[in-house]
Amino acid sequence: MSELNALAQKLAVLSAREVMDETGARMISEGGSPSPVAAILREVDDTVLERCLAFRCGGKSIRIIAAGRRMRGILSVSPKSDADVIGQVLSREDPDVVQAAHDLLEELCGKAENMTVRSLPSEPFGNSGERGVSALGLAELWDVALAEMDSTPKPPMEQFLTVNAPAFSSVLHICDGEIVAKEGDFAALQAIWSTQVEAFREAHKKTLRGEEAAQLICLDGAFDDGNSAALALYDGHVALIAYEAERFGAMQASWQRIFA
Amino acid sequence: MVVDELDALREKFEGCTAVAFADLSTKMILVTDSSSNLRREALDALCEEAALLLGANGKPALADKPSGMASVASTSQLRVFLRAENEPNDVLCCICGPKMDADRFVADACACLDRISSGE
Repeated sequence: MSELNALAQKLAVLSAREVMDETGARMISEGGSPSPVAAILREVDDTVLERCLAFRCGGKSIRIIAAGRRMRGILSVSPKSDADVIGQVLSREDPDVVQAAHDLLEELCGKAENMTVRSLPSEPFGNSGERGVSALGLAELWDVALAEMDSTPKPPMEQFLTVNAPAFSSVLHICDGEIVAKEGDFAALQAIWSTQVEAFREAHKKTLRGEEAAQLICLDGAFDDGNSAALALYDGHVALIAYEAERFGAMQASWQRIFA
Repeated sequence: MVVDELDALREKFEGCTAVAFADLSTKMILVTDSSSNLRREALDALCEEAALLLGANGKPALADKPSGMASVASTSQLRVFLRAENEPNDVLCCICGPKMDADRFVADACACLDRISSGE
């Protein structure tokens, strides 16, 4: 990738909407997209001045020292681990340590659904001359897809559907009247789309005072099989969804993070 | 008193801006929390929305059967509508800010509605 392309991509990322969770930490991986390790490398790649990057996922935390777009090493993890790699500066001359860092990150967060990051002041770590390994170099060594790292943010509706995919048993995504995606048992959703949605939207519009640009309408337990129904509306996009009722709160939170 | 229950729910959740108890059979708001400054037309619209989403007269809004709980999230609001388990025409209509903890709010609002509906 040319330096100009890299710069353009950095600017695109920086100008994209920041997605924050309720604690003010920045959400960098939702629904496993991008993969947590790719998200970590992306953050390292965005870090020029020395910082301690504090990652959190599912009750676990990882603190990494990064500088000059390089990962210097893993400062600490929680729950505590006795892995030798903690506290060691990464170096291409010591591939076992580099691999151990990857293995530890995969073990702690490889399957995490969500991950947040905070950029904190750095802490003493190794010798100042030990620079670590570049994020791009680690992506190559760890076989993390560069395309995944370089991806620009998805459109909001696509983000919402990707992030919440584990909660959905079926989805029908329509844009400007055309089906653009379908997952699971979408036949039932297609029947609802063709027989109920238009009349419902007309009736609902009459109850609204003023147009609402983005809406997520949830109907608890609306399906005979116990699943709940949702209708997500945004800018010509309509997604008809069957979802698990217990994921209601998480869906609401991610809707607000993406659209509000 | 019903208004005390509504006030308590609203006060517990900072992002909650209005709570109303309604009767679906007449599609009328019966009581609002004491701080609510919603106009009559807004209350009527809220009740109409509740009737549509919760499926008044047994007609589901979408899919197979009427819901006991429905919500509409926009960029500026989360509106939550709940139906009492034992009195299907007793409903609670709530207007919240967008950053509300939806799970926690719904759990407390359900308990509030149950107390009102059972006359506790």
